[in-house]
Amino acid sequence: MAKLTREEVEQKVKEVIAEQFGVDPASLKPETRFVEDLGADSLASIELVAAIEEAFDIEVPDEDIEKNQTVGQAIEYVIKKLEEKGALA
Amino acid sequence: MVRVCIFEDEKVTDLHPLTMTRAAFELRIGMSSLLDKILRMVKGVKPSEVHLEVRGYLAPVVKMRLPEYKVNEYKPVEDTIFINARLLYAGEEVELSGEEVVAVKDGYVAYAYAKKSTLEKAGEGSVTEILSRLRGELGTKEAETRLINWPWDLVKYNAEMIRREFEWRGKGGVVPDKVEVVGEKDLVYIDPSVKVYPYVVIDAEEGPVYIDAGAKVFPFTYIQGPTYIGEKTYIMPCARIREGCSIGPVCRVGGEVEESIIHGYSNKYHDGFLGHAYVGQWVNLGAITTNSDLKNDYSEVQVFINGKPVNTGELKVGAFIGDHVKTSIGTYLNTGAVIGIMANVLAPDISPKYIPPFTWYIKGVFSRGYGLRRALRTAETMMSRRGVKLTEEERRMYEYLYEVTRKEREEYIRRSRRKKA
Repeated sequence: MAKLTREEVEQKVKEVIAEQFGVDPASLKPETRFVEDLGADSLASIELVAAIEEAFDIEVPDEDIEKNQTVGQAIEYVIKKLEEKGALA
Repeated sequence: MVRVCIFEDEKVTDLHPLTMTRAAFELRIGMSSLLDKILRMVKGVKPSEVHLEVRGYLAPVVKMRLPEYKVNEYKPVEDTIFINARLLYAGEEVELSGEEVVAVKDGYVAYAYAKKSTLEKAGEGSVTEILSRLRGELGTKEAETRLINWPWDLVKYNAEMIRREFEWRGKGGVVPDKVEVVGEKDLVYIDPSVKVYPYVVIDAEEGPVYIDAGAKVFPFTYIQGPTYIGEKTYIMPCARIREGCSIGPVCRVGGEVEESIIHGYSNKYHDGFLGHAYVGQWVNLGAITTNSDLKNDYSEVQVFINGKPVNTGELKVGAFIGDHVKTSIGTYLNTGAVIGIMANVLAPDISPKYIPPFTWYIKGVFSRGYGLRRALRTAETMMSRRGVKLTEEERRMYEYLYEVTRKEREEYIRRSRRKKA
């Protein structure tokens, strides 16, 4: 996979989230909350984690899932993961 | 020298989900696989002369499981006996030398014999192409043998094949002293390594019972023949294993099971009914999981095969469950339900007739669930509990199947979300 810039990661995470919850990516703000604003139930959360893992070829341990409550946290989390594996431009 | 070429034809996909992860000849029926019986048909042929021709993506896993044979290497350079991978050999008299022949069943080549000179004239190509030319060259005759055309055929002929193979093995009459047998003891074989606890009843009045090496049968269990219990399989306390069951190796089976095949390494530990079903490998059916095998109006059961409903012409048809499927406690499977490989099912009301591979079905909603990566991790965990490793070949096969089934899965998920909204 080619290295991604922070902006590309942000855009791609938003696209994955938007696809999962059937919303416009442009409507997603860093402070948008998965449960309260997007109506994520436990199944949707599981699906979202799987979709993010697939999109970025990363692994999200179970204990990290709870830590990501907002879109902004998810973006930062993916950036950190890509940085760790040297996949961030 | 004669070569034997056991080939898959285009109809093997009608045996999905069972043949999605294995060649058709690996399917179990009676006391062994279709391949074991086919090899009986060509007794005396050395393994090095046996060629297996399977779908390309399956070749690495088949090669790994059956290393004694050549896989997808066949060339028409010697006299050859061709045998369809779906052929069910039940001891029929079949002439496979001397006269050249192309024998067909239900419109498909069941077996053929052609000499080198005829094959040279037919030219190179895939086995299907070669057979098509041989049909033109040699004409055809009706085969004496049957082909497995649909998943429910395996269940339909299972009891008959247990009776037949019990005779072939010729081991009847071996029963530990304290085991209660109803009917003739000659129709029972319990391997000396099997542990049978007290208060077990073996009923051979309607057919033989064969319990293979290393199995355990726990107390208060009823086993009715014809039934085959595979190696190292445990039959849990209070189980009712009724007529026509073949349970492969290393299974854990409880509750009520009737006229069903459990391929191997699968669990149905607890109560719940399984009838007229075929369960793949590494399946776990949660407690009380039950399948319907008869409709309330006694009409013929339809089964979804490759996206289309097929009328089975049968009144009793259970579920067909792909490898690595998991069901939750209290899941109810519809009559003739088809559950795709690696699906995860939580259906306390009743399941749909079809669940695509790698899909989660949770209380009316189709979902991608936790994706392939975690599904493979679960598979690894389950397999390691039985001392088996998920191989690279298997991993690549699942990755391939995940991609080729993606479109169908996404369509079900999309429709399900629309409905929910």
